[in-house]
Amino acid sequence: MKITKDKILPYLLVSPYLLHFGLFVAFPVIFSIVLTFHNWDIISPMEFTGLNNYVRLFSDKIFFKSLLNTLLFLCIHIPLQIVVALFLAEILNQNINFRGLFRGAFFLPVIVSGVVVTILWQQLYGFDAGLINRMLVKIGMNKIGWLTDPNVAMISIAVMATWKNVGLYIILFLVGLQTVPGHYYEAADLEGASRSQKFFRITLPMINPTIFMVVLLSTVGGFSLFIEPYVMTGGGPLNSTISAVLYIYKQGFFYYHMGYAATLGLFFAVIIMLVVVIQKKYVEQET
Amino acid sequence: MLLFLFLLLSSCFQNENVNENDLIYWSSNNSYEINFAKVVTDNWNKDTHLSKVYFQPVPEGQSSEEIILAAVVGKTTPDIYSNMWQGDVEAYAQAGVLIPLDTLDGFLDFLYNRCDSTVVEEIKSLDGHIYQIPWKVNPILLIYNENLINKLSLKRPPKTYSEFLDLSYEFMDDADGDGYTDRWFGYAEVQVTWWQRFFDFYPLYLAASGGASLVNNGRAVFNNEHSIKVFRFLKELYEKNYFTKEKLSSRQDVFLSSVIATRFTGPWEIMHADNFKTDDFLYDFSYIPVPDNHTGPVYTYGDPKNIVIFNSCKNPEEAWRFLKTLISEKGDLELLKITNQLPRRKDLEINDTFRDYFNNNPKMKTFASQSKYVKGTDASPVLKEVFDLISQEYEACVVYGIKTPEEALKDAEEAVNLLFLK
Repeated sequence: MKITKDKILPYLLVSPYLLHFGLFVAFPVIFSIVLTFHNWDIISPMEFTGLNNYVRLFSDKIFFKSLLNTLLFLCIHIPLQIVVALFLAEILNQNINFRGLFRGAFFLPVIVSGVVVTILWQQLYGFDAGLINRMLVKIGMNKIGWLTDPNVAMISIAVMATWKNVGLYIILFLVGLQTVPGHYYEAADLEGASRSQKFFRITLPMINPTIFMVVLLSTVGGFSLFIEPYVMTGGGPLNSTISAVLYIYKQGFFYYHMGYAATLGLFFAVIIMLVVVIQKKYVEQET
Repeated sequence: MLLFLFLLLSSCFQNENVNENDLIYWSSNNSYEINFAKVVTDNWNKDTHLSKVYFQPVPEGQSSEEIILAAVVGKTTPDIYSNMWQGDVEAYAQAGVLIPLDTLDGFLDFLYNRCDSTVVEEIKSLDGHIYQIPWKVNPILLIYNENLINKLSLKRPPKTYSEFLDLSYEFMDDADGDGYTDRWFGYAEVQVTWWQRFFDFYPLYLAASGGASLVNNGRAVFNNEHSIKVFRFLKELYEKNYFTKEKLSSRQDVFLSSVIATRFTGPWEIMHADNFKTDDFLYDFSYIPVPDNHTGPVYTYGDPKNIVIFNSCKNPEEAWRFLKTLISEKGDLELLKITNQLPRRKDLEINDTFRDYFNNNPKMKTFASQSKYVKGTDASPVLKEVFDLISQEYEACVVYGIKTPEEALKDAEEAVNLLFLK
């Protein structure tokens, strides 16, 4: 059969993507799955261990603690993110003075390096010399161990992560709010609807797809929590801020347990996939 | 990350002038050690030898350990590396990437001439071979602010746990009057990162136990009366707020700004303090505090950095000849003068070669006298995890007080033994 130029051209056109996909997606994924059945410290040859890494995973208390920590982070971070972002977007959608300046100011933390933000917040959260505790003492309150109290540390990190990312979600909500047709509000005004009625009966249902997108992005972003605990607390105190990704990183790059780290990573990827699928089903039902 | 480092390292070694017999030598990448390495390689290359030595500092990375690992993986290791942490050697030895130095002609004679037999035993690998040359140590001692210590009742640094606790109580203060302590007698980072224990638990354990091991023959051996005393002592420091749980390292230097009066640290602090202290700030070093009934020498952690020859080296005998000049008396004197780091040799205090240096650097004398009683780390390929498991229990017991020392050390012992079983 004669191979014509027309038959080769499509393959040539898709080959850069296929090469990229093969090298940076397919190969690492397949290699990771193979790794889960091995012990490998990078410098010694791989050793086949069957299902040992999976057995170890199910008895690893710190890993399950890290999963719970990640879940706690999501439970604080996502609602907080949505409420704050929606509230600010609603304000910034009004005709207020310096609107452009405020929009820019709220977006600024998004483009600042995560490490810089965490170092800045470390100063704010300091027990003795931190600005927040100094203000609390000034108004007669007790100091709080923002990063040293195991019951508070994850909440502190979630608040900081919300501050860092809220600008992005404000933009998304602004886009959503501006797609709501104005005549809905005019009709509601004629019917004598209150401000809150208009918000809950018109705005919220109309921006439901945006809310889903924000929940999805926050969930995926939240699952990859790493920089904040890595820089601020190292996962402490008492493992109260160790996230799943940080724990996997430690197994892989502190102790070079590449096989075990791959097993944890695979298990965690399955959890993320399940959560996203459930979220998607739920939202599809709602809409 | 590793792919990137591999590509970087591969591109580092395209030196067309290097002959097959020539040697590539990596040193640490701090400026003092770069200067030292230049001096010793220049001296070697001035004379006629079979090989020339090409020196370069270990390429920049998050840590030199990471770079060495990437070099091993990428098979771009140098012939000689002179800043290997003793605790890493066993893993590389077991991976078969290091030359067993005891097979080289004259190595053992040279080694026994330089070091005590205890040091030789300490650096011996689990397979009985020796893969590292004990090169330098930076003993961890107690730095103290003389101005502040002289105002306290004892008028000298504490030597025992009781003295340390008494002075801590006397020193603690609420300087700004907000109802919270803001002056502490000492400070140690509370993070669970494994190497943080080199600056609190480990030197105290070595001091209390006379240099005992943490692990031996694939078993944890640290759950003993000494470690319990150390945990109890440190726990009391945090319980009574003599040490703070807050991370102070992100602030202005808390020792030089007199927020704390003491700290466990190494000789590198001398250059830093001399560069940044005010003229009237006086400081000195003292030995690690020990339990009240302690007898015998006071050991500490020596933070040893050693020299290895990788098996990529085509001419190990010639590499060893070069290294003999690097760790000769002359080489060790250069090391002291240029880097202010102590060579690990038994005659450091009595050898006339070094006398002038110590007379001109009196603060280093304390470190030199301590260098007889330093210990490195036990030979184990999972040493970092051992320290990490101890750190987990250290945090639970010492810092947060949710376990007794006995419970914490028993749990750490069980976890470490489980680690060896895997």
